[in-house]
Amino acid sequence: MTRLRTPLSQVKGLGSAKEGTGHFWSQRLSALALVPLIIWLCFSIASLPGMDYVTVREWLGQPVTAILMILLIIAGFYHARLGLQEVAIDYISDHALRTATFIAITFGAALLAVTGVFSVLRIALAS
Amino acid sequence: MGNEYKIVDHTYDVVIVGAGGAGLRATLGMAAQGLSTACVTKVFPTRSHTVAAQGGMSAALGNMGEDHWTWHMYDTVKGSDWLGDQDAIEYMCREAMPAVIELEHYGVPFSRTEEGKIYQRPFGGMTTHFGEGTAQRTCAAADRTGHAILHTLYQQSLKHKAEFYIEHFATDLIMVDGQCKGVISIDLATGELHRYQAHMVVLATGGCGRTYFSATSAHTCTGDGNAMALRAGLPLQDMEFVQFHPTGIYGAGVLITEGVRGEGGYLTNSEGDRFMERYAPNAKDLASRDVVSRSMTMEINGGRGIGPDADHIHLNLQHLGADVIEKRLPGISESASIFAGVDVTKEPIPVIPTVHYNMGGIPTNYRGEVVTLKDGEPDTVVPGLMAIGEAACVSVHGANRLGSNSLLDIVVFGRAASIRARELVEPGQSHKPLTADDIQPALDHLDKVRFNKGETRTADVRDRMQRTMQKHAAVFRTGESLQQGAELMRGIVDEFDDVKVDDKQMIWNTDLVETLELENLLAQAQTIVHGALNRTESRGAHARDDFEDRNDEEWMKHTLTWTDERANVTIDYRPVHMTTLTDECEVIPPKKRVY
Amino acid sequence: MAEFTLPANSIVKTKGQVFKAPEGATNVRTFKIYRYDPDSGENPRVDSYEVDLDSCGPMVLDAMLKIKNEIDSTLTFRRSCREGICGSCAMNIDGGNGLACTTSIADIEGDISIYPLPHQPIIKDLVSDLTNFYAQYASIEPWLKSDTPAPPDRERLQSPEDREKLDGAYECIMCACCSTSCPSYWWNPERYLGPAALLASYRWLIDSRDDATGERLDDLEDPYKLYRCHTIMNCAQVCPKGLNPAKAIASTKRMMVERRL
Repeated sequence: MTRLRTPLSQVKGLGSAKEGTGHFWSQRLSALALVPLIIWLCFSIASLPGMDYVTVREWLGQPVTAILMILLIIAGFYHARLGLQEVAIDYISDHALRTATFIAITFGAALLAVTGVFSVLRIALAS
Repeated sequence: MGNEYKIVDHTYDVVIVGAGGAGLRATLGMAAQGLSTACVTKVFPTRSHTVAAQGGMSAALGNMGEDHWTWHMYDTVKGSDWLGDQDAIEYMCREAMPAVIELEHYGVPFSRTEEGKIYQRPFGGMTTHFGEGTAQRTCAAADRTGHAILHTLYQQSLKHKAEFYIEHFATDLIMVDGQCKGVISIDLATGELHRYQAHMVVLATGGCGRTYFSATSAHTCTGDGNAMALRAGLPLQDMEFVQFHPTGIYGAGVLITEGVRGEGGYLTNSEGDRFMERYAPNAKDLASRDVVSRSMTMEINGGRGIGPDADHIHLNLQHLGADVIEKRLPGISESASIFAGVDVTKEPIPVIPTVHYNMGGIPTNYRGEVVTLKDGEPDTVVPGLMAIGEAACVSVHGANRLGSNSLLDIVVFGRAASIRARELVEPGQSHKPLTADDIQPALDHLDKVRFNKGETRTADVRDRMQRTMQKHAAVFRTGESLQQGAELMRGIVDEFDDVKVDDKQMIWNTDLVETLELENLLAQAQTIVHGALNRTESRGAHARDDFEDRNDEEWMKHTLTWTDERANVTIDYRPVHMTTLTDECEVIPPKKRVY
Repeated sequence: MAEFTLPANSIVKTKGQVFKAPEGATNVRTFKIYRYDPDSGENPRVDSYEVDLDSCGPMVLDAMLKIKNEIDSTLTFRRSCREGICGSCAMNIDGGNGLACTTSIADIEGDISIYPLPHQPIIKDLVSDLTNFYAQYASIEPWLKSDTPAPPDRERLQSPEDREKLDGAYECIMCACCSTSCPSYWWNPERYLGPAALLASYRWLIDSRDDATGERLDDLEDPYKLYRCHTIMNCAQVCPKGLNPAKAIASTKRMMVERRL
């Protein structure tokens, strides 16, 4: 295939997207938030007297737990969405497929996050 | 056998052959002035051998002590052993300051003084007050000045959107009625031939260090432009003057900058004696290169060399301390460690004088225009052709170049050529079409080498040439040895008739390129050995045991050498210019040269 | 997904030739070298050359020159300075990118395999097409940009401390060892600038004489150009000049964040 576009023109392509640092920073920020939240989650679950439905539900119903849990869900799915997007950029070279994957990742993360938050709220507000 | 080549045609105002420091400075200068400019180069520009220059570029800025360009001029004339043309030397030393400032403005990352000015170090033969004190005149970017300058010049060429033809091997000039009309190249990537028609062709193809077995020069330093000029019927000048750098790493031939001695390093023999104090009581280790190389050779010949074969010398810099070495000489510590297995903070580097630079080349005036001796007129300009850098003999280096005057030479004369080209060529001037006959000699030449039916390997002939030159045209020369050398070289040149090119393809045929380069080297080796045999005196880098003194009466003149198609050499002469361009300085009359 | 269908002619299929060492050679090493013939268009092969190291220099390049000079003059590779400053002889030696001229044969055990720089189009044998790599270098506009007029008759001043910041950034020889060893560059060679171009960009970002820091950062503000770097660190590991492009990229990212906080 003869490429008649000059190499410089090909490299310059569509130019800078003027975006990237936001993504980079948000990924670090959400990671930073997840560190204490995950530690809290591990310790809290480990220190539960039992793993039966009633105990867990009661624990999740406490205001502090519910607030931290909602934060964890939001940060977690936000972080996952950003991270998966990176993976897609690296490994998917076809542009249409990549775009479709982006959409799926975003919608999927939003759906799961909203479902999670709604579930916690329902438990927390019901009790 | 036939000329079934696809030929791609180009027309430009100017074409530069070579993308080292000189070629790039000319390229960007001409492009910036609105001339349509092409630069044809056999390697990617930043791979040109300017990149290996270490120590620095001289200019009497006076950043680190008093200095004046007339002192620089005096040192250069004395360094040249009064073979340099003084008008050109005046021009170079005067233009040195604006040239280095211009490079700084381009962005060269020079090392700095505490006040933020360009750092300057002492170098061999650079003095103040006409030989009295030591000058700190050599502007440095650590010990990677050539790299810093070459990369910056390439960046500026990108900025000025100069056009490059990269990995194109130029084979021949297109000459019509004694006038240069263009140049032919092979595009290595496609194997196609390119024909460039231009109002001005600038040869910036460097020196021919690879005529010798042990050289600091790159494998690509084959003086292709010089050989193209010879084939075009033009002479080379002062080719017998080949500089041996005192400090090439023993065995590997890799360069260790004179800046090591500038920063305080010194040479010792097997007795631990700092012998340069005996040969050059004033300048000591910072005497000019020919003097230091001869002194080292005399120590080795006197049985005071180092090693099992008593065949090299030690360069000491341990005493400078790790701090200075890391800050000022990081590159050479790396080279010494890789190529000599030496930790320079603890041990000396084994070194030996190694072929480094050709003072000779294509004769030009100080504007970069190629000149020749024609009808008794020694300064006849060859229309349409310029030469700059190591390929040229302006002559600012005469019989011996001072260290750090080479980076200066390339920048000053690269710029001078671009100024002169703009004076001579109107942008967009029309071209008279070339005919098929105009390029037939170049095609025939290519076919002759490419389809030669022989049995001898290119590398074998090259090896014999390099060993012969190393042995017979070395630091010290005698008539007898040179005569032998000339006879051997005759045989080796004839062997080229039997050379075969195994690789039959046209795409990236390095076998063919190396064979064309060998042909180029052979012609230049002939001019070196015959020039040396002919010059019955000792001057600068040309030291004859049988004629130990300089003979100004008879030999204060440039040697011109022509070759025929069998590489037989014809010799004539041009006078040395003993004039200045302005009355701001005076002609420096010859006197005895002591350091 | 990532390209699982490989480009034409990328698989080494054809059986290569074997060039035996001369009789009586005692210190023999085998060099297995990638060969690609553009004229035939056949798949590449690996030729084996037995080299007598007793009559050969210490570096991989010495052996390759010996092969070209004495055994097979059709072997094609780039070389020039042979002292590690021009960057011509970059290739994949014994599985890692490096310069043939500064890689010692003694440092490699067993047979020595030599391939072109990874993931670049091949022109012939070890000569790869670096057009894209060079264009990326040009695209970052690697020249001094200043709105402040330079003083007419003297240098721009720069403190030794500011000059020191350029150390480790200006010494790049553009050999392409780093970029062609970077998986991120393999995956997005057209849109990710790669370690070499980003190091070149950083060299200008931190030059105290350059006024275009903001514009330069604007140009890099892109998910692909800069942010494909995942600190895999292959670049720093293979750099024959001991430079650390990954660190320069990290510093560039820090500048990006700094200017928005």
